[in-house]
Amino acid sequence: MAAEPIEGPRSSERLLILALERFGVWLRSIVVCLCGALGVVSADAAEVPLALSLLVPAFLACGVRLYSLRRPRLFPLALLWTLDAAVVVLTGLSQPVIGGEAANVMVEAMVGISVVAFQYEWATRPVAGAALAALGAGVSVLGDVLSSPGQGPDVVPLVRMLIQVGLSRAAYLIIRGLARAADRSAAVRAAARREMEVAAARRATEREYLATLHDTASATLLMVSQGDGRDWSWLPPRARQDLEAMSAVPGFETGSVDLAALLGCVPEGEGQARVRLKTRIDGPLAIPSGPGLAIFNGVREAVTNVARHAGVREAELRAWTEGDGAVVELSDAGRGFDPESVPARRRGINGSIIGRMHAVGGSATVTSRPDTGTRVQWRWHGQALAPQAGDRAQATGVPHPPRAQVQHTADVRFIRGRLLYGTQLAVLLISLVWQFTISLRRLVVHQDMYRPAWAQTAAFVCLAAVAVIGGAYLLRGRRIPPRVRWLSLGSVLAVSAVCAFTLPPEQSTGAPDWAFGVVGWHALFLLADLRAGVFAAFLGAHVGLNATAVFLSGEPTVTQWAIMGISTIGSCGFQLSVGVLMTYLLHGTAPAAGTAAAREEELRTRERIHEDMQRDHKERYRALTATTVPLLVGLGHGVLSPHDEEVRLRCGVEAARMRRLFAESDAVLDPLLNELRACVEVAEHQGVTVSLAVRGRPGEVPVEVRRELIDPVAVILGRTRSTARVTVVWTPRAVRVSVVSEDCAGGRGTDEAAQAPGRATNAQVAVERTIRGGSVWVEAGWRRPAASGVDLT
Amino acid sequence: MSDNAPVSVVVVDDHPAILSGIEAWFAAARRPITVVAAGDSVREAWTAPGSTADVVVLDLQLAEGGPAFGSLRRLVDAGRQVVVYSMRDDEKTALNCLDLGAATYLTKSEGRDHLVEATLAAADERPYMPPALAGALGTNTRADRPQLSVREENVLIEWFQSESKELVAQRLGISVRTVNSYLDRVRIKYANVGRPARTKASLVARAIQDGLVDVDDL
Repeated sequence: MAAEPIEGPRSSERLLILALERFGVWLRSIVVCLCGALGVVSADAAEVPLALSLLVPAFLACGVRLYSLRRPRLFPLALLWTLDAAVVVLTGLSQPVIGGEAANVMVEAMVGISVVAFQYEWATRPVAGAALAALGAGVSVLGDVLSSPGQGPDVVPLVRMLIQVGLSRAAYLIIRGLARAADRSAAVRAAARREMEVAAARRATEREYLATLHDTASATLLMVSQGDGRDWSWLPPRARQDLEAMSAVPGFETGSVDLAALLGCVPEGEGQARVRLKTRIDGPLAIPSGPGLAIFNGVREAVTNVARHAGVREAELRAWTEGDGAVVELSDAGRGFDPESVPARRRGINGSIIGRMHAVGGSATVTSRPDTGTRVQWRWHGQALAPQAGDRAQATGVPHPPRAQVQHTADVRFIRGRLLYGTQLAVLLISLVWQFTISLRRLVVHQDMYRPAWAQTAAFVCLAAVAVIGGAYLLRGRRIPPRVRWLSLGSVLAVSAVCAFTLPPEQSTGAPDWAFGVVGWHALFLLADLRAGVFAAFLGAHVGLNATAVFLSGEPTVTQWAIMGISTIGSCGFQLSVGVLMTYLLHGTAPAAGTAAAREEELRTRERIHEDMQRDHKERYRALTATTVPLLVGLGHGVLSPHDEEVRLRCGVEAARMRRLFAESDAVLDPLLNELRACVEVAEHQGVTVSLAVRGRPGEVPVEVRRELIDPVAVILGRTRSTARVTVVWTPRAVRVSVVSEDCAGGRGTDEAAQAPGRATNAQVAVERTIRGGSVWVEAGWRRPAASGVDLT
Repeated sequence: MSDNAPVSVVVVDDHPAILSGIEAWFAAARRPITVVAAGDSVREAWTAPGSTADVVVLDLQLAEGGPAFGSLRRLVDAGRQVVVYSMRDDEKTALNCLDLGAATYLTKSEGRDHLVEATLAAADERPYMPPALAGALGTNTRADRPQLSVREENVLIEWFQSESKELVAQRLGISVRTVNSYLDRVRIKYANVGRPARTKASLVARAIQDGLVDVDDL
């Protein structure tokens, strides 16, 4: 029965079916055992052994069925069906054995409730349920015939039984339909939420990856491209480390780390770039590894910045606990700078230090003014993080969906709302059908018994009005206002009283008492959203009124009491059990369904995030495999020498490409120009004079096209020794990015520009090359989508 | 003016270093160019000896404030040949100056390579097209722009991109002369549209006379 979570019924429907099945089995078993026991007690002593031989197997069958609820897969369905059929047949046959009016009523109650219960037990197999109902009908006819030979079978109870069975099935279908709808709309909302969460997780991972790349491969390649004739002994291990960092998927670190120990390993740099760290750390500082690594990597980058920009060779590193978090501070007394004037593209501060901390839920601040030194502070607080990307996320390695609790509550409320609507609809249907079939027939047939008859008719109309008014609210999708509800309930109780006191007491709960069995349904409809206790109180009042009426008219006989008692159990007891079931559905099944849905949802989200992260990572890594990875491998294993000019040029090109990649995530108006500038800055850093000119009005260019448009520029600039001109021309039809180098080193570079290796060559971008003497001119053009059929050249 | 006659120039720029730089370039020119007056105000162009100079080299961004379009218009209306020489490297300003009737528009980064030739061309009422201006014309989307052929537009853009007519010629498989004739033709087309000015009319007349364009082309 437990189907695939995606293909089969979803949480609400699944749990609803389960709850109804349990309800059916328990209700039937209790009724059969109670009534059966009463029957044995009331039977003549001579008939007891035969009655027992019929009823004990029926009790045992009920017991087996109850046990099967706990071990659903233990028994074959055919066996269970046979047991159910046996219960009906055995109880039906006990009717002639026990004999008497009491037996008739008892057996009718047992069989009647059993066939109703079967509709819920076998809800997912309607044919089995219908067959059992037919069997029940047959058995009750047989019982009647056997117990009163000579009389033909009474059609009325038979029709009543069929109506009840039909109503049970209809109620089930209504509630299941609404549970399904709730599941569907919850799934739709969950899918939207999942997309958001997956996107957020991907962005966070992307940022982290770029920050890692910036501190590792990009920094190394830039250093190689700039330097010549220095000590390169540090390079091979560093290049190997960089490769490792690039291939590791960020966001999958687990557990917690001692930040104090990590900070003790912050490299001070070597030679001229060495920064002596004065360390004052109050350890140990255990924090989740995500924030711990973010702080560690940030501090590493900040120390490099001190060496590069501060003009001092000393810095102070302090760390201490604050609340349940940690604070780390790096300060130097160097030249300082104006943080406002640092362009957004400078990734050292924005990406490696601030962005990385934000990604793990912490914060980092940089305080500096020209000539006053610089202070960088990292803060991480456990509690601020706990509800969202907190410890759980670290433990599982995947960011946990935020605000899960709020959404869970909303889901539960939604499912509960739909289930309530469904049960109300079902009970309303039962009330109306019952009133206008079973009750109406009784009212019409027994008109002459009522004193006065008009009172009973008025009560009937009043009851119908209650159902119609309540139904009107319900069908318009509105709640019944409290005043209307309590007025209606009062009317229902009044109907009960009127009918009880205008009926001959000996006929109470008998055939002419049309109201006794139906008012409970009306009340249940009005009280559906309240706890079962309120409904029980109403039923108590209802039964009390009828008992009072009987009692006031004189002492009833024991048999009369017994028949009344069994009728009460058969109708009001059944109604109460339905009330309890509804309370259970709304307060037990709905939250459970919400929780189950949330759990399934979380699992799916996590799977998606995991998949997407893996795929993104492969994608990114693939983009670098063709270019950066071979370089780092060569440098790491000494195959490529940093003394070789060609190697240094390639490193320069790769560094420029990476800078462009970093610039991709900047939020700027003209991303093409922004990414182009990132490449130009690398070249200018190497001492190349680059003039950059733009003409025309900028427009939208997809990121993969931008990559191809700019790549030739990265390649040519990386090989240019003195002067280059970079232009962007926007025409209504096309965008054309061009680079002219007056002295481009090596012919290979120009080949590379025309056909960047390892990239999916995009037919949309046309690259054209012209070489004249030392000058190389490469232009990449992309036809803008608005244009049609205009050739670029 | 015959092709070797000396040319007199008045230079209006508020930066002394630029003034002396320009004078040095003119002094080294293949054809005698005399700077008859130089100063930081347009007055130099209106008072003797500047008032009789053949060409005015005008910095659009003088100390007074915004671009000196008014001064340019008055000079052009008086029939003066004005080479606008500006820090501003945007197409809007370039197109405005051309529409007002400036002989040409040069950015200061192009000065070393193009100012002398632009000045001589202005003196002879011949068209001259520096790369920055070519870029502006090649991407012009204004409604009143003249109709250019695809080839003309390409030559403009590629000249802007490469700053080398040899490279453009090589890429397009044509001669440098042809590249020049495309550029001249575009310049004449621009002189033939927009606000009427005597300088523009004489540019067109001279071009027809030289056989650069046909009357039918316009």
